[in-house]
Amino acid sequence: MTTLQLCLVISSLLFCIGLVGALSRSHTILVLLGIELMLNAANMNFIAFWRFGASPTAATGVLFAIFSIAVAAAEAAVGLALVIAVYRHQKSVRLEEANRLKG
Amino acid sequence: MNLDYAGLFRALAPETAIVVGALAVLGVDLTLLRGRSLATRMNVAALISALSVLVAFMLNGTCPCGRCWVGASGPVFGGALMFDSLANATRGGILGLVLLTIGVSTGARINRNPAEYLSILLFATVGFLLMAAAQQLLVAFLSLELASLSLYILAGFDKTRPDSAEAGLKYFLFGGMSAAFLLFGFSLLYGLTGSIELNHVADGLRHQGISPLLIVALVMVIVAFGFKAAAAPFHLWAPDAYQGAPTPSAALIASASKLAGIVFFARLLWSGLGFSAGNVSYAFTSVGWLPIVAVLSGVSMFVGNLAALAQTNVRRLLAYSAISHAGILLLGLIAVSRNGTSPIFYYATTYGIATAGAFGVIGVLERQGGCDSISDLAGLYRRSPLLAGCLMVFILSLAGVPPLAGFFGKFYVFAATLKLAGLAGVAGWLTILAILFSAVALYYYMVVLKQALVVAPAKDATPVRVPIAAAVTLVLAAIAIVAFGIWPSVLLGAV
Amino acid sequence: MSLLPWTIYLSFAGAALALTAGTRSAAAARWTALTAAVASWVVALLAAKSFVPSNAAQTLVDVAWIPQVGARYHLTADGISLTLVVLTGLAATAGILFSWNINERVGEFFAFYLTLIGGVYGVFLSADAFLFFVYYEIAIVPKYFLIANWGSTNRQYGAMKLVLYSFAGSALVLAGLIWAYAISGGNSFALGDLAAAATTFTHAQQVGMFFLVFFGFAVLAGLFPFHTWAPTGHVAAPTGASMLLAGVVMKLGAYGCLRVALPLFPVGFEFWQPVIATLAIIGIIYAGFVALVQDDFKFVIGYSSVSHMGFVLLGLAAATPRAVAGSVLQMFSHGVIAGLLFAVVGRMVYERTHTRQLGDLRAMPLHKLMPFAATVFVIAGLASMGMPGFSGFPAELSILIGTWTTSPLWTAFAAFGVLVAAAFTLRVMQVAFFGKTDAGGAAHHDAEHHAFAPITLAEKSGAVLLLGATILIGLKPDILLDWIVPALQSPLMQTVLKGGVQ
Repeated sequence: MTTLQLCLVISSLLFCIGLVGALSRSHTILVLLGIELMLNAANMNFIAFWRFGASPTAATGVLFAIFSIAVAAAEAAVGLALVIAVYRHQKSVRLEEANRLKG
Repeated sequence: MNLDYAGLFRALAPETAIVVGALAVLGVDLTLLRGRSLATRMNVAALISALSVLVAFMLNGTCPCGRCWVGASGPVFGGALMFDSLANATRGGILGLVLLTIGVSTGARINRNPAEYLSILLFATVGFLLMAAAQQLLVAFLSLELASLSLYILAGFDKTRPDSAEAGLKYFLFGGMSAAFLLFGFSLLYGLTGSIELNHVADGLRHQGISPLLIVALVMVIVAFGFKAAAAPFHLWAPDAYQGAPTPSAALIASASKLAGIVFFARLLWSGLGFSAGNVSYAFTSVGWLPIVAVLSGVSMFVGNLAALAQTNVRRLLAYSAISHAGILLLGLIAVSRNGTSPIFYYATTYGIATAGAFGVIGVLERQGGCDSISDLAGLYRRSPLLAGCLMVFILSLAGVPPLAGFFGKFYVFAATLKLAGLAGVAGWLTILAILFSAVALYYYMVVLKQALVVAPAKDATPVRVPIAAAVTLVLAAIAIVAFGIWPSVLLGAV
Repeated sequence: MSLLPWTIYLSFAGAALALTAGTRSAAAARWTALTAAVASWVVALLAAKSFVPSNAAQTLVDVAWIPQVGARYHLTADGISLTLVVLTGLAATAGILFSWNINERVGEFFAFYLTLIGGVYGVFLSADAFLFFVYYEIAIVPKYFLIANWGSTNRQYGAMKLVLYSFAGSALVLAGLIWAYAISGGNSFALGDLAAAATTFTHAQQVGMFFLVFFGFAVLAGLFPFHTWAPTGHVAAPTGASMLLAGVVMKLGAYGCLRVALPLFPVGFEFWQPVIATLAIIGIIYAGFVALVQDDFKFVIGYSSVSHMGFVLLGLAAATPRAVAGSVLQMFSHGVIAGLLFAVVGRMVYERTHTRQLGDLRAMPLHKLMPFAATVFVIAGLASMGMPGFSGFPAELSILIGTWTTSPLWTAFAAFGVLVAAAFTLRVMQVAFFGKTDAGGAAHHDAEHHAFAPITLAEKSGAVLLLGATILIGLKPDILLDWIVPALQSPLMQTVLKGGVQ
């Protein structure tokens, strides 16, 4: 197994762990963490493909990863703000209690 | 790579105008309007936003005179952005829909922070505009995230209502997950082809067959697309977001966001991943992303139409109708190879006008007494004939009744898919399914209109006072629906 | 002739004007609507006066409309369309006269009414399948509001059922037309071009397309078993709308079958011909028997419409020139007679007695209390039975004779249907108008019945218009046949019509 393949396996595992966490957890913060894991799995792919890919001179992969880290940070900021907004109303951040909207 | 910053600035003049507008909205509100009434602040903010959108509209596209310094055509900034006729038309359409949303927001429930609201709406607009032209994975991802993050905030903006916060959170959680899927898919595409330029990605994919990694990448991208387009089975956020979000936000999510999203993914899938599309025109489908899209389309039509039949909340009904319309849009996406993008552009634009207009009517009613269940519309013909007339135009257009724009949109998409190969394959049968479902859909649309135009008003119902800006906006939107329906060429000529 | 498109525009303009006038006063809206309807009828009659029958349709307007899909704004007129346009003008005018007593939301009523009329005119004049379909659907939605807002018994249900049936039918039509259009290359919607392209379609395609288009249209024409919307819809509708529904809207379906389905897909027609004829005959006889046992006066008329439309469809299925000419004549004739019958039942009788139950009506000597209504109904009933001297006679006779050459068996069954029609018409005439003349409690009845408002001038003039038309055509059917027969010799029609020309 080459290093690239190893990296891909690890990133896939990370993505799956994040996905399972995001789908199965009922605590909003843990869901957020799961989403962050998924994003980071993608970042790891970018770095791996850049390092072991055809043209490591162009910094495309790294640039993409840096931008996506910034986006992830912004996303976390928005997400936490929304979590707080929900908390103010229902005094809890558990998703099963956020069930006012249905039908 | 030829980095032409002057060219970039010229091409992005509309975005610049909107960012300046957003900052001006904030600045004016913080300095000149301190201590003024909320209504004044709202109107001034809306006026400045509308002006900046109008300026952007004029700066968009290439001026026919050829001497102006703004505008662009063809690839810009080393191919990161593509200003073809589709991009320019879509950007024009997005700006029109945003203008409509701004007008809707003047009539909706008064917001405690109007300037912040509208400036975030303008930032979302910048995201939409870039999405329409993105030709490179990084720009695509950033513009999509700019738009999405702004929309999450807009959905959860009304801090006084728990519904709004919940809608924002749900929208965010689903959207965040879809962004992760998209990013993962992009990383695999980068790995497969060594490039993030759509053209190079396409070249790279042409020379390699379908590999397992490519299939994973395709699935990831399609999943993200499904979320964005609210296609079943990735639609779960839509009813909640439409129901809980402030009305103008819901209107924006349903209109401009949808148009930008469908054009964005059409470009991504066809010009980037076109060589791995597969085929659904004949009975023996081949591997690629088209079969997945076809499945999503069929499931969306089923879920959207059948679930809409059971709704009592008018916003949820519009949400499920949006899901069924997403099914038809996906059908149009399938036919891009044969007919180009003008069917989906026309469909998404006119659908956006109609649905944003319907939300506008709901918004005005909400400000004066509430409009949750369909029966709250009862007697609208007496409470406000103007709103009732506009609602009739919007709803009938959604139902696809000629001569309104919704009819030609549907017709154009159906004709395009049937031109692929008649009824020889999945695409053709999906089209027949869609046509038959349009008769089902008429039922739930007529249920809405029955309340608005037939049922007598409740005893304590009062006449509705429509704010002048909202009235003008809604009437213009209704006129646009009729005009685009009678003269579709006006809109089609732009693509 | 070239003025004929103004029938469409005048109706739509009248709709908008009536809506605005309605905000001022009800009377203004009524007179606006009447003016618009009469104006378009006059346009139609003027065009008829200068009409020179020929086998080629005369182009009225032909401009590019949506070049991206090849749709053109192409209006033409030949003898068939002219017949139906004149009928539409007549039915619209009479319908407004019988809607004079609408008091609620008058402007809106006439706006929906005239929009419907405009759509109907458009359908009869379109020569482009896309345009045809657009006008066809414009005529659907107003029906819902007319019935649901101003109707009577079970109006919400009847309105929804009617509009869903119509829309489902038009969805089938749309599917068939787009399919044909797409396979033909997607460049033109002209009926001629589509028909030319259709000759290259496979047998299966022709059969499928004909099925979609014909049965889609036939839903609106009241073909058994898709007819159930018609009685409920007619009964629920306000009088003016019932007159339009039975008078012209059901004709839209039959006209679509004749103008689009038959000439476009002759191969498919051959396949489906026996099925259509069988269903049409079942419709004639079944609806006749159902009408025979109804207790509600208006349901009797509703089912009689289905029965009479069965003759139209049978004539189309026979596909001989004489039968088809008879069908078109029957469309005109039934449009007039059904309008009269609904006017008597819905406006003259129901609005005064407030009952439509035959049991209640039997107790009232209506022929004494309402001699005018009774006279009109008797004449209309005779016409409806196909008595010589009225328009129903030449129409049904041509259909029966024309069908004979295709299949004598069909003629036999249809002739039996004529007998059933005579039976139910006579029964309802006897029960409703010539019930117990004086059976106890006369004083009580008299006190009640003298309160009946007299028949208004509007009602009288409407009835006279319709009666005049049915008698005129009954005595001189050649007026219309001279227009219709040449139109059947057009190349498009000749591909599907067999046997010698009349």
